Amino acid sequence: MLLEVRELAVGYGGAPAILDIALDVDAGEIVSVIGPNGAGKSTLINAIAGLLRPQRGRIDLAGADLATLAPHRVCEHGVALVPEGRRLFTGMTVEENLEIGCYRPTARRNRAAGLERVYALFPVLAERRHQIAGTMSGGQQQMVAIGRALMAEPRLLLLDEPSLGLAPAIVGELFDVLRRIHAEGMAVLLVEQNVGQALDLADRAYVLEEGRIVAEGLPDSLLAQARIREVYLGV
Amino acid sequence: MSGIRPLPALVVLALAALLVAVPALGLPAFYVSFLYVACNWVSLATSWAMLSGYAGYWSFGHAAFFGVGVYAAGTLAAKLGVPFLLTIPAAAALSALLGAAVGFVVFRVKRLRGELFALMTISVTAVVATIISNTPIDGGSGVYLIGVALPELFGSQNGTIYLLGLGMAVIAMASSYAVAHSRLGLGLFAIHDDEDVAEVKGVPTFRYKLAAFALSAAIAGAVGAVYSIYVSYVTVSETFEITVTMYPVVMTILGGARNWAGPALGAVIVTSALYGLASGPQAYLGRGAIAIGLVLVILLLPQGVLTSIVNLWHRRHPRRIVVPSRVAPAIATPPRSGPAAVALDCRGVTKAFGGIQALKGVTLAVNAGEILGLVGPNGSGKSTLINVITGHYPIDRGSIAFEGARIDALPAHRVAALGIARSYQIPRPFNHLSVLDNVALAARFGTAHQPGGEAAAEAMHWLDYTGLAAKAADLPQQLNLHERKFLELARALAARPRLLLLDEVMSGLNPGEIDAALRLVRDIRDGGTTIVFVEHLMRAVVALSDRVAVLNEGALIALGTPQETMRDAEVVSVYLGKAHVA
Amino acid sequence: MPSATLLTQSLITGVLAGALYGLLALGLSLSWGLLRLVNIGHFAMALLGAYLTWYLGSALGIPPYVSGPVIVAAFFLYGVALHWVFMRFRVAEMASMLITFSIAVFLESVIQALWTADFRRYETAWASSSVVVGPFFVPTLNLAAAIMASVLAVLTWAWLRWTYVGKALRAGAEDAPIAAAFGINHRRLSYILSGVCAAYAGVAGVFIALIATLAPSEIWTWVGVVFAVVIIGRLGNPLGALAGGVLIGACEATTMAVADPAWAPLVSFSVLIALLLFKPRWI
Repeated sequence: MLLEVRELAVGYGGAPAILDIALDVDAGEIVSVIGPNGAGKSTLINAIAGLLRPQRGRIDLAGADLATLAPHRVCEHGVALVPEGRRLFTGMTVEENLEIGCYRPTARRNRAAGLERVYALFPVLAERRHQIAGTMSGGQQQMVAIGRALMAEPRLLLLDEPSLGLAPAIVGELFDVLRRIHAEGMAVLLVEQNVGQALDLADRAYVLEEGRIVAEGLPDSLLAQARIREVYLGV
Repeated sequence: MSGIRPLPALVVLALAALLVAVPALGLPAFYVSFLYVACNWVSLATSWAMLSGYAGYWSFGHAAFFGVGVYAAGTLAAKLGVPFLLTIPAAAALSALLGAAVGFVVFRVKRLRGELFALMTISVTAVVATIISNTPIDGGSGVYLIGVALPELFGSQNGTIYLLGLGMAVIAMASSYAVAHSRLGLGLFAIHDDEDVAEVKGVPTFRYKLAAFALSAAIAGAVGAVYSIYVSYVTVSETFEITVTMYPVVMTILGGARNWAGPALGAVIVTSALYGLASGPQAYLGRGAIAIGLVLVILLLPQGVLTSIVNLWHRRHPRRIVVPSRVAPAIATPPRSGPAAVALDCRGVTKAFGGIQALKGVTLAVNAGEILGLVGPNGSGKSTLINVITGHYPIDRGSIAFEGARIDALPAHRVAALGIARSYQIPRPFNHLSVLDNVALAARFGTAHQPGGEAAAEAMHWLDYTGLAAKAADLPQQLNLHERKFLELARALAARPRLLLLDEVMSGLNPGEIDAALRLVRDIRDGGTTIVFVEHLMRAVVALSDRVAVLNEGALIALGTPQETMRDAEVVSVYLGKAHVA
Repeated sequence: MPSATLLTQSLITGVLAGALYGLLALGLSLSWGLLRLVNIGHFAMALLGAYLTWYLGSALGIPPYVSGPVIVAAFFLYGVALHWVFMRFRVAEMASMLITFSIAVFLESVIQALWTADFRRYETAWASSSVVVGPFFVPTLNLAAAIMASVLAVLTWAWLRWTYVGKALRAGAEDAPIAAAFGINHRRLSYILSGVCAAYAGVAGVFIALIATLAPSEIWTWVGVVFAVVIIGRLGNPLGALAGGVLIGACEATTMAVADPAWAPLVSFSVLIALLLFKPRWI
């Protein structure tokens, strides 16, 4: 098992936003975590990426407990984050953003190869490599964010609501790219509000509601549950 | 937000009488001189703190206003023969004018407000000094005021000078006290903590900063005028010395920047220390020591002596707020013109941030008295819509009208005055104001525009309503997240808005609390307020809303009753994906 | 109106003076732009560096090309130490201004205590030499300062633009948590940057000693101008700092040639006010 999360609780000074989380991702798997807003999906993924310090629990990545590490040490163990809202370095160019992705020494050596790979996946970025990231469209920025994470040569790719604010057509393309990345053997943990795409893509899924995992299993079986419709649409 | 507890009036009066009588006591000149200098610094520090301490806009240019006062008096009295006592108000007026001019340019800039202001004030001082030095005002030779006539009180000119200095100190402290306990002061304190929120809650931030700055400059100018005759020979280098800029800063921070008497205390401490240490040619040593002292104070006692003492006192004797709450008959203040059918009319509202199109031509009319749920996936533009309605951002295209009048070009504090209030999804209270004052501010500056005493009662009512009455004297950081969310709500309600914009009030509540919140929102609407609320908890939206508006990617894709909209094919596909439209 | 030759000569002098402004502005701009710390003490440090250069040179006979590197290295350490204090006490942007302002006042007192308020001039062999280009005189030391300023500005720009540390600093300044997610320890890097900024103050100090007359109150005459240069050149932009300095220098020189030299201090202020009035979004 590549990633094992056990009894994770993460909060913001006071009551935990997520509680008692148990979650697994195996090498080469795509796992989706879905749930309505406010459920704690971002909190979960930010904790795994090292941006938040958990109050309790373990985040085991191939033997190392990420929960105890300082934020800048987490990526050394093979996770890379595509943050919610992309959070690019908007004053820097596309290529500079990608280069920050491979900042850690082991990835830095393969900078040229990494750039080639990203440009092959996203030809649009190759054309605009010297464009300032802040001037690009939402979809293009998302490509840069994914590319930046790929440059880190992770074993586990973390995506926080990649479809946020993107047009449906672009979302479709995006998820196709994720499929291709996955096909090359990458493990992916994805939190998404867009149930359709998220479950379409996933090997397995978890449902997060008000800070707890309330369901898990294969995508089809989850969708069959009327509960999901109720949670999302209220009717 | 009070100062030190009021000393027995008798002691104060006795002290005052003593101070006034000093020139007649026949004390050696050294002591009278010391008292005068102390009064001088009390005035300068107290005036500096009125903008810089209260609002947090640190000025490094107090010397400029002091210098304008010095040379105004010098020029008018020595060169133009104006009676000296008249030069004092003239000096104050000139300095105020300069302050207003500087403030007018600098306060309009939105980014780096604090730093830019500080740096501009440094520049202004250098410029004023240069102008005075290069023109006949000084011309490099200094100005002599020895021959200037002065009425002799207590038998000597020195006595008069001393009394003028004392008078300035009294005026400065009285002004500071008055400001601190006024609406202006409350606004300044709010600006210090969160200027943007203060503006949205109705504080006219630009005007207030300008007013405080001009007042502060005026007092400094008057002090300068008196100083000119005290030294009787003024030069540019001495007048615009770095000391005049630095000492008020030290004194205020040492004494307590948010306390009307703090700067005065700091001034007395520092002046005494300096007189004790060294003066004259060794003055720069004293300066150096004071500088180090300031560093230590900032690092170790950033609140200042007086505020720390006050806080300690309050910890030992916890305040109990005894303010009777008042039951409000209706929440919303009545509209100026008769009732309107459409409360809020958005047409073609468009807003982009850089390359991202946040709102794409949203057209939406909110009916008076309805509860409208605003939903949509993350990034669909809900928060942006709320922000442009309240005036936090200007729109690129389109129009927003409230009760028939256009509001999209108005500054946020005007929008608040017209009857719109909002709560923030992530609570943004004023951290240095008590819970009660946070709510009272909204009552004073919101639509209802209540005067001070009533605002407190009003605030108490809303704290009762939201269950926070017991915490009225606490600071926001002592509340947990739920309580802070209710504080947000109380703040929004205390403004007595006719349109209330709620941003995710329900998130984080348990089922019991959610039901209570639902009842609360209905009550508010029944009181006459139109409500637009952003929410992700769908069952709350469906239960509460008269109508639901669904945004996606900045565009309005559905509008109608909850049942209709949430079964609309496009809405379902947006949330669940196309395959699951059933 | 002065002749074209006179004007051009003024312009040359002005541009060179402006380059020195740029040199002073460099450390300040980096610190404010990338560390969010406003270092008013920067000027005092530069003046201290100048006094040290003069003293070591005049009293102890140590030439500036020997004392300079030592001073610069010592200042680097000072910068690291200062940043440590800021981190330890979690000092925010506004408080940093107050603290560095106090440091400036303190250093002014120290300078006055050690070397009195008398004007000091470092007399060196090159002090009066000039490079002659046609009818124009280019003072050698000023030229050296301008060259150093340009070299440092370009090197800094290249450092920020092309090295990993430079990119990491820029990324960390924009979004430290996400930068950390990619392995950037912005805290550690900021110590280095603080040291570099202080070192730049040292470099400026060495040249100030060679070119200008020293007095403790000089600190305050530069503050207004250099901050204007920083804002005009935009924060964190080394080439901007240089360009802004040259622009202000040129404007001042023109003003001095056409009007009374005593009005020069108003130039930078006026340019800044104009910028703020007509382009408040420049910042």
